[in-house]
Amino acid sequence: MATGSIPRTTLGEGASHEGFLRHKGFRWLKIALFLCFAAGLAYLLIDVQPRPSGGSWYGYLLGTIATLLILWLTMLGLRKRAMTRGRWSLKGWTSAHVYLGLSLIVIATLHTGFQFGWNVHSFAYALMMLVILSGIYGIVAYSILPEALSASRGEMTRPQMIDAVMKLDRQLQLAAQPLGHEDTAIVSASIAESPFKGGLLSRLSGRRPRCRTARALALLRPRLVGTVGPGGEALEAVVTLLERKAAALARIRRHLRLKAQLEVWLYVHVPLTFALIAALAAHIVSVFFYW
Amino acid sequence: MAFLFRTVSRSAEGREIVRTARVEGDRLAIGRAPDSDVHLTDLAVALHHATVERVGPRLQLRVEPGLTVELNGRKCASGTIELGTGGDILIASHLLRFMPTPPEADEIQVAVERITEGEAKLDKSAERLFTLAPVMPGKRALAWLLALLVLGIGLAWPIHAYYERQQRAERFTRFQADEIWSSGHLSQAHAALQHDCSACHVKPFESVRDTACAACHAGIHGHADPFRLARARPDLDRWGRIQLAFKQAFNLPPGRCIDCHTEHQGPQRMAPAPQHFCSECHAGLKAKLPDTRLGNAGDFGRLHPQFQPLVVAGWRGDRPILRRASLDLHPREDNGLKFPHALHLAAAGGVAQMARRLGMGPAMACRDCHQLNPDGVRFRPVEMERNCAMCHDLAFDRIGGIMRTLRHGDPAQVIADLRALYAGRTAPAPPSLSPFARRPPGSASAARERIQFGRGAGAPGAEAAIRAVFSPGGACYDCHRVEAPPPGSLAWRIAPVAFPTRYIGHGWFDHRAHATQSCTSCHAADRSQSASDLLIPGIATCRTCHGGERTSKPVASTCAMCHDYHRDEGAPAMLIRQQVRGQRRAPVPIPAAAPEAVGAP
Repeated sequence: MATGSIPRTTLGEGASHEGFLRHKGFRWLKIALFLCFAAGLAYLLIDVQPRPSGGSWYGYLLGTIATLLILWLTMLGLRKRAMTRGRWSLKGWTSAHVYLGLSLIVIATLHTGFQFGWNVHSFAYALMMLVILSGIYGIVAYSILPEALSASRGEMTRPQMIDAVMKLDRQLQLAAQPLGHEDTAIVSASIAESPFKGGLLSRLSGRRPRCRTARALALLRPRLVGTVGPGGEALEAVVTLLERKAAALARIRRHLRLKAQLEVWLYVHVPLTFALIAALAAHIVSVFFYW
Repeated sequence: MAFLFRTVSRSAEGREIVRTARVEGDRLAIGRAPDSDVHLTDLAVALHHATVERVGPRLQLRVEPGLTVELNGRKCASGTIELGTGGDILIASHLLRFMPTPPEADEIQVAVERITEGEAKLDKSAERLFTLAPVMPGKRALAWLLALLVLGIGLAWPIHAYYERQQRAERFTRFQADEIWSSGHLSQAHAALQHDCSACHVKPFESVRDTACAACHAGIHGHADPFRLARARPDLDRWGRIQLAFKQAFNLPPGRCIDCHTEHQGPQRMAPAPQHFCSECHAGLKAKLPDTRLGNAGDFGRLHPQFQPLVVAGWRGDRPILRRASLDLHPREDNGLKFPHALHLAAAGGVAQMARRLGMGPAMACRDCHQLNPDGVRFRPVEMERNCAMCHDLAFDRIGGIMRTLRHGDPAQVIADLRALYAGRTAPAPPSLSPFARRPPGSASAARERIQFGRGAGAPGAEAAIRAVFSPGGACYDCHRVEAPPPGSLAWRIAPVAFPTRYIGHGWFDHRAHATQSCTSCHAADRSQSASDLLIPGIATCRTCHGGERTSKPVASTCAMCHDYHRDEGAPAMLIRQQVRGQRRAPVPIPAAAPEAVGAP
């Protein structure tokens, strides 16, 4: 998916710096707004008896539009694998995906006729709203986070970040040679721990409560005061290396956090879309089953 | 005796770097200490971790107390390795592989390798490590899982419940899986069916049919002949045709019960039918059904035919001829009575005086004769004995303190009673006429005497009295039309009397609902001089208060206020429902079908 902050140059039109949100002067925003306005106006003007509902002719119309829209929006998953230019460029497609997806909030809500309940129909609606909400998060994330993500690298590539930790690990390995068995256990725990350890929550928060490096620092640093002689020098070297490693790990974790925040919505958006299509199938079949 | 070491390590590109070393002697000290024979740099290795000593044809392994190594895959603190077979010792991440050696050999080859899983995990090419992929289940797997879960719960489970339901006959009182398909609560009237979807949804993929409704609502009849109903419907415009085409495509027959009685709209009550529901057809009915006897009706205030009450138009023998006639034609009622309402309601005069004497108040009022039925909707038929006789007395004789009255409704009895009265007043028969008197047979004089006596005894007073009763000024003649007998006969007849019990049979009118109004504000009884005046008020009178659905009049009245779609008799369902719901103060009766007229000959 193209991002709002990465400019793209189109030779034919000169330097063009519009992302998918402002594609062609907000063309799809205008179309989506028109769609919402027309649907809302018709909802107000059409006197459906006994009350507006998904089962009236207008309800069926809106439901059909919404279903087709959802299926088309899902097609972005296929379409994005083929980047093209022109009238139906991927950027245009993405722009339409965003704005038409947002217009579903209005169209599908009007389709319900504001009748909600604990049933498969409202469940499909709730799933759709969750998909849209995750999509909105995605738009916000894509317009804010990439900048922070580049900044968090500190002029380093990702392999370089890993490399920095590996080098520090090797130095720690050597520096800890003179230490006693207990101390080396503490240091080797830090070395053994992968910087990528931790689950989704730890990645999203950027916090690692039981970080072995932090623990090693917490245990060894107070001992600097009382230790003298060659043992003291080794300990000092180890603590210095541990501090540098902690800094390198913090950089990796900040990067991981931003990256996780940038990616996590797709783990909601995509699977829930398929759950939504399943719920939509149940919704439609049930309507005709008990016709 | 010596150990020949071959230390294998790998470059960043994966190339093998092999270093060899030779340690003289039979004993190997293994540890992290720099003075060890085998110096292992892993921090998990103790400074002095283990020793290996060549003893004859085997190697003896000893580990420092409290520490362990893995010998041939087993964790142990000591052990032996046969030289002939060789063996592996794993200390932390270092693998010491003692190669099989003949017992008499001088050198023992040992391969030392560091198993570096820790470095592989930081593979430089692993951009993937930075993505969420390693910590999240795959999107595709998640999508499949969720989709199948939703299909299972939202589709398969309810369908299973439907087919399960088909196998059982009992009523369903607990939650059934197909209820999660319900788009909304059932109406209050149908709330008991909430667990029994199949009560209405009989066949899958077939819309609800009227037969499902008729399974319970057996007594409800249609509005009219379905063919006439179909002809009366307004022409379909283009939009209507499109809707019909869709209905056809989806097998939704038009005109089903549920088209009006919509369900799953929440726990609500049935709403009164809106006016347009009726006016759609009835506003232009004449054009669509030229032979209809109904006038066009679209709005009570603006388009509604004049009332056509049932009136006694004439008589066929003793049977009244009842006919509906528009009030615009000022029909007169041939009910057989003489009764000037105005005279009876006058505030002054003989009637008022008599009313005062009888304690009815300053003058007669309507209620003195017209009494409401117990249901309050209509009035009891006026009866002579109950409603007229307090003034129009039929007494003709007094015996002791008891008044004898003529029998009302039976002219022959009246004639007989009067004859008997006068017969009782003649002189007793002479002894010669006694049946016990002795006389010679065939005496002509005796027979003549008997005839003459008989003529004189009854005739003169009785005949005059009978004529007087049935003639102007007589008790019968005052109120009834009297048919005179042929000359010489006394067989007087009274013309029969009849009134419709209900004048307006196809519209509902509840007198109790109008109790705030005086009778004469609608019925012009105080100005009626003749019993043949039809005192049913016209539509203009109703319209002083009642307007259509949208009106500035005090009472907005839809069609449903007086008419019912399904019923002809009794109160409209809308009023009954209002009463049941406590929205209506005056109770509405649900009467049984009544005969059209009472006749009183």
